[in-house]
Order: sequence, then C-alpha cells, then structure tokens
Amino acid sequence: MDIGTLLSYPWEIMMPEFIILIAATGLSLTDLFLPSRVNRRIFGWISAAAVLAALISLLTQAGSEPAQILHNTYRLDSFSISFKALLLFGTLLVLLISTSYLARSDVEEQGEWYYLFLAALLGAMMMASSADLITLFVGLELLAIASYILTGIRKKSAESNEAAMKYAINGGIATAVTLFGFSYLYGLSGSTNLGDISREISALSADHGHALTVAAFIITFVGLSFKLATVPFHMWAPDIYQGSPLPVMAFLSVVSKTAGFIILFRVMLSIFPTVQGFQPDESLYQSVMIFVSIAAGLTMIIGNILALRQNNIKRLFAYSSIAHAGYLLVPFVAFSQMMFESTWFYLLAYVFMNLGALAVLHIIISENQSAHISGFAGLYQRSPVLTVCMTIFLLSLAGIPGTAGFMGKLHIFIGALFADPSRYVLVSVMLVTTVVSYIYYFSIMLHMYMRPPKRYTKITWPIGATLTIALCVAGTLLLGIFPGAALQFLQEYFWFNDMFTLN
Amino acid sequence: MDFFVYQNSYVFVAAFLLLGLLLPITALTVGRWLRPHHPDPLKSTTYESGIEPFHDARVQFNVRYYMFALLFVIFDVETVFLYPWAVAYDELGLFALVEMLIFVVMLLIGLIYAWKKKVLTWT
Repeated sequence: MDIGTLLSYPWEIMMPEFIILIAATGLSLTDLFLPSRVNRRIFGWISAAAVLAALISLLTQAGSEPAQILHNTYRLDSFSISFKALLLFGTLLVLLISTSYLARSDVEEQGEWYYLFLAALLGAMMMASSADLITLFVGLELLAIASYILTGIRKKSAESNEAAMKYAINGGIATAVTLFGFSYLYGLSGSTNLGDISREISALSADHGHALTVAAFIITFVGLSFKLATVPFHMWAPDIYQGSPLPVMAFLSVVSKTAGFIILFRVMLSIFPTVQGFQPDESLYQSVMIFVSIAAGLTMIIGNILALRQNNIKRLFAYSSIAHAGYLLVPFVAFSQMMFESTWFYLLAYVFMNLGALAVLHIIISENQSAHISGFAGLYQRSPVLTVCMTIFLLSLAGIPGTAGFMGKLHIFIGALFADPSRYVLVSVMLVTTVVSYIYYFSIMLHMYMRPPKRYTKITWPIGATLTIALCVAGTLLLGIFPGAALQFLQEYFWFNDMFTLN
Repeated sequence: MDFFVYQNSYVFVAAFLLLGLLLPITALTVGRWLRPHHPDPLKSTTYESGIEPFHDARVQFNVRYYMFALLFVIFDVETVFLYPWAVAYDELGLFALVEMLIFVVMLLIGLIYAWKKKVLTWT
C-alpha cells in the first residue's frame, strides 16, 4: 500500500477523535515538562476548548452519508454522530465543574486529572462509532481504566481509595463477563464484524436452534449492565459515587452511562433483530426482551426504593441515577419506531438536569465539607437564586410538566405504548416508581425551603460551576417548553436506520 | 465455522474437567490406603529444604519491583510486535511503517511519563 491510497481514505470523518487525541497527548507532555510550581488551572480551559472544538467539528458532520474506514472497524453514521454529541457536551460540562472543584481540593495531579478525562472521552467516542467487537472492547476498556484512576485520584483520602479499589474489582468482573459473551458471538459466527456476526447467526439459528445465541445475548447484556448501573450490576454505584470526587461522579453518572447505552444499542441492535425468534412471527431480539424488561423493572423499583432512605446526598443521587438507567431501558425493550429518538432525548434531558443538580451539589458540599442532606437546610434564605435553580433540576428529575425530564418520560411512555406489543406492565412500573421518586426529590426541597439554616454566610459562586448551572437551567427549561425544536433537529439531520445499512 | 464442531469442542472441555477432578482424588485416596499412619509432632513442622523456617512469610516487597516489571512487559510486547513487522517489511510497505511509527511514538510517550515521574530511579 503506498502513500496515495493511504491518503485517499476519508480520514476527516475521524476529526473529532483526532482533536481529542491531540489535546490529550499534548496536555500530558506539557504537564510532564512544565515545572511543578506552575498552576495547572489553564489546562481545564484548554481541554474544555478542545472538547468544544471537537463538538463543533462533529456537528458539521451531521447529515452526512454513513461512511466506514480502517477495514470497516470505524463507522460514522447518524447513531454515532448524535450520541457522540451527547458525550462531548456532557464532558464539556464536567470539565467546567472540574475547574471549580480543583481550585479548592487536595488533588495533587491536576494535570493528569484533565487528560485522563480526555482519554476516557476518547474511549467513549470510539465506542460510539465502531462496528467491530475488538474496537468496541478497546474503547470500553480505555473508558473504564481512565475512570478507575480518576475515582482514586485523591490519593490521601481513604474513601477515594476504597472506591477505586471496589470499582476496579467490580469492573474487572464485569469486563470478564462481557468478554465471555463476546466470545460466544465470535465462536458462533467466526467474525468480529457486527454485520458478519448478524448474517452468520441468522443462518445458524434457522438450522440449529437458539440455545447458544440466547446465552450470548444474556451474558453480553449482563456484562454491559455494569456500565449502565442496572440490575444485576448496580450495587457498585452508591459506594463508588460516594467515594469519588464530585466531577468524577458526574462523569460516571452521565457520560459513562451514555457510553454504556451506546455500546448496548450498537451490539444488540446490529446483531439480534434479524435473527429468527422463538415464534415464527418475531425476531430473537423480541423473544429475549422479557429478560431485559424484568431487569429494567427491577432497576426502577430498587433504585427508587433504596433512594428513600439515604441521608448522604451523593448516595441519593447514585440511587436516582440507577433509577434513571431503568427508565432508559424501557425504549430499548419496546423497540418501537421512536426508540432512538426517545433514548437520545431522555439522555440529553438527563445531561442537563443531572449535571446541573450535581453542579449545585458541588457548591453545597464544598461549602459544608460534608455530603449530608442537612447541608441544604435553609438554602432559600441564604441564596434564593441557587435554590430556584436546584428546584428546576429536581422538578425535572422527578418529571414535573414544563421541564425536560417530563418531556423525556412522556416520549418513553408513548413509545412503549405504541410499540408492538405494547409494554403496559413496564409502563405502569415506571409510572408508580416515578411517583415514589417524588418523595426523595421533594425531601431535598423541604430542606431548602422549610428548614432553618445553620449559618447565614453568603454562598460563593465559582465560575465553572456557575456557567454549568446557567447552561443547564436554560437547557432544562427550553427542552421542557419547546421539545419540538430538539426533536425536529434530530429528524432533519439523522436517519437512524442507516445503522443497519452498509456492512 | 461449522456449528457442530463448535458445540462438540465442549466435549473436550468436559473431558479435561473430569480428568482434572479425578486425578487428585484418586492419587490422594490410593495414597491414604497404602501409607502407614503414625502421627508425630516433628512431622507437622514446616519443611523448607532442610533449613529451619524463620520469621513471617508475608513480607512487603518494594513497590518499585512492580513498576520495573510493568515497564519491562510493555517493552517486551513492543519487541514481539516489532520483530514480525521487521521480517515482513518488504511486503507490508509504507502503511505498516506509519502504523508502527504511531505505535512506537505512543510507547515513547509512556516511557517519557515513567522517566519524568521518577519510576526509573531506584532510591
């Protein structure tokens, strides 16, 4: 192969990844050669700028034809562009919170902090645009290993060390299970390319039945449920969210979760809908959805019930994020026309409302030096503006009309009810658990409005967290009042069915 | 790939699993039948190549051993990748050269990281 053929490939479709890669490598080398007395604050703004540049270059790709390079392992289609936008935007907000967090924390490796976030983001982006099991797995591991280090980056804190240890061990087990599932997919088809796997397995199942194919589906799903923090791999979330630094917790609960849904959709939807199911008129995907719907129902129930008893605000948000992952599995189970739209919209709403709430949490926790729920007491008397912002996020997380969370839930409901067959049981579980979730979201509001404050000092607004809160309030309200704008954008520029073409 | 070949390979797994279980069970049971049984306090002391055992077996190793081992493994793997590439260089051409350069540069950054973080000094 000569240089002419090498340059004839459309490398520009990897532009966002190249920007992040260059920024991460450049920052790591600069950090190594810069004397240690120089403040690394500027790194935060440089990495935020790099993420913004990658986001802009990604948005210029919207509406382009699907394309593949690198022997069909890298693939750019509507699915990858739209979900990569969520990853980049979420990371941008997390980096903004980081700049405020690092200004007063005991983290010594401030340079590493930023380029590890960029490396994790790069892994997640590779997962979003890959059509090959090996590349998907490498992306998954890049994200996972960077997250393990970030969780334990407060070297002197026992809590942070414990969280990192638990995360690494649990993550290792989950990775082993995922790989075991992948090995079945490879063993049955003899290929790592998702399109080839789908064709081979369709041909096999017609002749030889389903036992191994169903085993492959279930084992892979169980392994991937670790990244989503859903049943059966959900119990790591509270301990690790509690122990890790707040921006890392924000990254895990939003970006890492989005990446988990991306790889789940990519692997499962590329392979199983074309395989013949147990009944003559359904696909294997629909036949095995009963397992996923049980997992989704249990996730919603466990997440919301256990959140009721939490006094630690970080643990409360961990259980709430488990519950949200349960809601997000509903469109995956329903498999309707609106599946991609409702998942994307809910994840976007979740980025706004959860990251906004966590930015407020950062201000409260650094003010009180503790994550107990009583830190919110009397917030209304101390800072009405912050209280109103937090109220908007909480109402949205609970799903009250006029907010993004309500529109997201509404879309999931409609999609699940109009699916064939309708998922009445799952929708009713979701309705009931949503009502249960009002209790713990409103108990935070009770503290903010009704309880007397412990002290009357003024709240300081660090610049990064303030920017995040402002963006998130705007996003939550705009998506709640004009949801049509985002959905229209989605329908105009993205055809999700091109995920299934071009193999 | 033939489906039956794939499924039948599990017969070998089962056979080896059975063999692995049976071998120690048989050896220990037959040994129990054959050997004389005369317990004695001297017999239950630790046997360490004839030397009297001293202090605790659980000692802390210097963490630098792990660092060195890790670095060694990385560069060992690099050699393993470089060797077949160097042998087949004429057929692979420019694309492989660029790929290999990317690979070496990535590892070089890792080495610089280890060097600046003082992993290469012992004290």
